[in-house]
Amino acid sequence: MRSFLPAVAEQLFGDIQQTYHDTSQIPDDLLIALKFVFGSCALLALDLVDQRSVICLSSPSGRQAFQVLGSSGRLYTCFLSCHFCPCPAFSYTVLRRTKGLLCKHILAVYLSQTMALTLQETVSDQQMSVLLSGTGAL
Amino acid sequence: MTDVLSLVFRTFVSQTKPQKEPAVRPPSAASSSVLLVGDRGVSSSLLLLAAVTAASEMGIRVAFFTQTQIQSLPETLRRCVPSLRPEGLKKTTFFYPRTLDQLLLHVASLHESPTPPALIVVDRLESFLRDPAGGSNAGLSVGEQSSAAHVSALLCDTASFLTQVLEKRGSGSAPCRIIASYLSEADANKDSEDLSVTDPVLDVLDRYFQVRCTLDRDRGYEAAAAAVQEVWHVYLSGRGIAEASSNKDWEEKHRAAQEWKLLILPDGVIEFNSV
Repeated sequence: MRSFLPAVAEQLFGDIQQTYHDTSQIPDDLLIALKFVFGSCALLALDLVDQRSVICLSSPSGRQAFQVLGSSGRLYTCFLSCHFCPCPAFSYTVLRRTKGLLCKHILAVYLSQTMALTLQETVSDQQMSVLLSGTGAL
Repeated sequence: MTDVLSLVFRTFVSQTKPQKEPAVRPPSAASSSVLLVGDRGVSSSLLLLAAVTAASEMGIRVAFFTQTQIQSLPETLRRCVPSLRPEGLKKTTFFYPRTLDQLLLHVASLHESPTPPALIVVDRLESFLRDPAGGSNAGLSVGEQSSAAHVSALLCDTASFLTQVLEKRGSGSAPCRIIASYLSEADANKDSEDLSVTDPVLDVLDRYFQVRCTLDRDRGYEAAAAAVQEVWHVYLSGRGIAEASSNKDWEEKHRAAQEWKLLILPDGVIEFNSV
């Protein structure tokens, strides 16, 4: 996923990782920078991280994906190496209007990984295939 | 993927015209996903040629996804590949998903295979994205854009994972490459001279595919003058090409061939000329 981020965002995540590792907090200046780069979804993404809503799924083949429990209670499956989320905000704001870099769910994945707050779960290879395809019932 | 296309161009280069020394384009993650944009018939032929060449000449496994069942190789391709190795054909697996959901499930399941492919080909993406049975409502641009993003992201993520698997196994087949074809409605309605018409689905696909290979038919007199049936201009563009060209050592040693001509001879044989 890193290759799809602008350099300023990568630098910001690096700073957050270092500071959070040392102090277990994100200082105000980095929070302001987060809001400046990602807009209104920054605070919403931090809420999702606080609620431990990000899960890293793994299967025996080694395949991985992320799931984020949204505020509506729906689970969104996001990918590791490029940006995609099935939520309406990603479809409209990112794809359609090209107004945003990410939706709050993808940003929550980045932040959760940066702060080492991602939950881990294991699924079977077949379950992983269904989740990645988005064809199973949620 | 541009390394596979370069191999196709070099392998089937015209013997009747002097050629520039073709570039040997090394495989790289920056250029491993290619979107073929242009005429359906020529795109499908080029995809089949790429798949067969990759399996036969490079010895890599190929997963080919298409809605149309392929009973046997078209005559033109059998003539183009005189030294076809049977074991190479066995490395190509054809899948025939009928809907977008089936395509997504097939691609998502590739990680389960004990012998993963190093080349994933998807023929005629537009037929999956605009199929009402595929789950997206025809004519609703946002739904089509989201579906286009989903299948593109899944292809990229799958290729990224399979690249790691291939590298760990030390098979020499890495990276896993992707090539897909797409015909926008604007290109389909060639009579329209409105150049301002943009395809929102193509805008989405460009986010995920690093290289675009554009096929543009030459409607001048060159075909008649050269006694061929059709002449197509083949252009490679996109950030994958820009990144490869920015490598100064590579550029000093090789000239990037980013434009080719595809010739379809009267007997159906396909040849390439460097420009």
